[in-house]
Amino acid sequence: MQATLPTTPSFDRAAERARVQRERRRTAMIDVLVTLGTIALALLVGFLVMLIVGKDPILAYSSLLGGPLSRTNRTGRWIEDATTLIILGLSVSIPFRARQFSLGAQGQMFMAAMIAAVIAIYVPMPPLVAVLLPLAAAMLAGFLVGLLPGLMKAYLNANEIVSTLMLNAVVVLLYDFLLTNVFTPPGSQSLRSEAIQAGSMLARFTTLLGVNLGRANLAVLFAAILVVAVWALLNRTPFGYEIRTIGANEKFARYGGINTRRAIALSFAIGGAIAAVAGVHLVLGVHQRLIPGIAAGLGFEGIVVALLARNNPLLIPITGLFYSYLRVGGDIMEQEAAVGTEIVLVIQAVIILLLTAQVLVNYVKSRSRPVRET
Amino acid sequence: MDQALQVIFSATFIAAVLRVSTPILLPALGGLISDLGGVVNIALEGIMLTAACAGVLISVATQSEWLGLLAGVVMGVLMALVLAFFHLNLKADLILAAIAINILASGGTIFVVFLLTGDKGSTSALVSKQMPFVEIPIIKDIPVIGPIVSGQNLLTYVAFIAVVLVAVFLYRTRAGIHLRAVGENPEAARSVGINVRAQQYLALGLSGLLAALGGVYLSMGYVKFFARDMTAGRGFIALAAIFLGGKTPWGTMIAALVFGAAEALSVQLGNLRIPNQLVQMIPYVATLVALVIYALVQRQRAIARQRKFRQTQTTVASG
Repeated sequence: MQATLPTTPSFDRAAERARVQRERRRTAMIDVLVTLGTIALALLVGFLVMLIVGKDPILAYSSLLGGPLSRTNRTGRWIEDATTLIILGLSVSIPFRARQFSLGAQGQMFMAAMIAAVIAIYVPMPPLVAVLLPLAAAMLAGFLVGLLPGLMKAYLNANEIVSTLMLNAVVVLLYDFLLTNVFTPPGSQSLRSEAIQAGSMLARFTTLLGVNLGRANLAVLFAAILVVAVWALLNRTPFGYEIRTIGANEKFARYGGINTRRAIALSFAIGGAIAAVAGVHLVLGVHQRLIPGIAAGLGFEGIVVALLARNNPLLIPITGLFYSYLRVGGDIMEQEAAVGTEIVLVIQAVIILLLTAQVLVNYVKSRSRPVRET
Repeated sequence: MDQALQVIFSATFIAAVLRVSTPILLPALGGLISDLGGVVNIALEGIMLTAACAGVLISVATQSEWLGLLAGVVMGVLMALVLAFFHLNLKADLILAAIAINILASGGTIFVVFLLTGDKGSTSALVSKQMPFVEIPIIKDIPVIGPIVSGQNLLTYVAFIAVVLVAVFLYRTRAGIHLRAVGENPEAARSVGINVRAQQYLALGLSGLLAALGGVYLSMGYVKFFARDMTAGRGFIALAAIFLGGKTPWGTMIAALVFGAAEALSVQLGNLRIPNQLVQMIPYVATLVALVIYALVQRQRAIARQRKFRQTQTTVASG
């Protein structure tokens, strides 16, 4: 916002504050409108695609947009998926704030799932510890898996996109190898580990509330805690300040005396630790054992959630709920209208393209700027 | 171990290296051009995937491999130009826009394949045409060299010829030199009257063209069908090959061959009862290691440059 500074000598503090606040509210409103407009436009693109390919777009969209609420177990799937996506969005938002494109969430989730499962299956533990210990160990693992490309980027300037994606491939193959050769009990018919111990299982809402909400579980609390924690980390700690300064202008941050290398490496690692919580959710809450491809197809989902929220942790729950609604709706649409759920990926891509297109966003903003009397 | 060594030093192995290097070399050359033009193309993966899919579908529909090739290339260039438009005209972040293109390609190809075949995995139900394999007269009869050099897919030859063409383009033509000037310093290039945006459109367009050839090779040379996400990270391995090759065409070719050798080795080792997944890791681990090595070398060079600079400064001062 390039507001003209008041040059009059009689500087009215209260009025100025009110003006700034009004201005802030207005920018926030415009941001929300731009986001909603983007979403509407992306959905329209999906609609047109279906029209072109000759599918019935009304039927498809009614199951896409109405499906998740049509039955309680579908709503449960929505809550379950939203939990994962909110945590992933938070995970991505930290390196993104420092303008680092860490795409390692997938590998971090697989690694975390593996570590959490090993402890939850094989180590006998008293209740509560049985949840917290796997969680802590998995977060440490995620931290380390994130730290490696972080160090490579910060100290060696190695391209983080290539390194995180290669690391993902390695971890996923390792997971597959260990699941096949170590975790699957001999003589088992299908490829899956034993169930984790009862004390490690996160209680499901279906049992807690007596309503069939599928596999949605108490990990929702993890997501809620993380929202506050990530907000506090970014906005109320020196580290958060460092991250935001680097994101705004890395050279300025360095000249200002910030240890940019350390902060960048840490942003990857902390993002990794948070992504690990999503992996823990999948093992202790959703599947309660290791299954093949436990976190498959979740690689880039955190990006769109974080981008839609403009990396603001307090908005991520909303965008996470929105995007997982589309994902679950997409699956239902595939069953009911035989339109591939991948149309949701197309919509996702369109959202990212439109949201990052500065010219479009600025155009909308400039059109909605009121005429100021100065 | 003996067995492994025997495998590596056979003509069939080297021929295999050329075969599996092709879909890394082609996108790497494309990425090199865009990189030198100052617009790193992270969307190589998605462009390859789109081209691979379009190639197969059109070749099935028309029963012509050439029309398939054309369709693949057109789609690939189109995707690259969409990326260029969003970045250069709409000022979208290049990396995020490229990630979006990759997601679009991954989702879009599966969507279309599912729509047409009812199968999400692959198009193996459809019989695609294949790009021709070329037997070179005389050379094919030379022992050892014959089986390596002759009988490869047409696009493999295209890939290695492209190395020469890209080198000539970048260093010997006006357009290539302008393109590198833009990548080096866009402000300076603009000040001498070079159209920066046009050069970057050209850079991204060419990278789309070469990546598309790599994609078509995957689905219509390497095999005869399209499978979901069949590029399997080659677009990103290609990026690593550019860095490792020191951002020169010949270096990139050597790096692509190294990655190809790692992959060919993993295929060969797969026959030796070593767990499949561990063997499949080889190209990815190799890429990670290569990234670190490249970065270390770069840093050493920078330090050496600095030292030299200081030395000249002192000589100038004392002289």
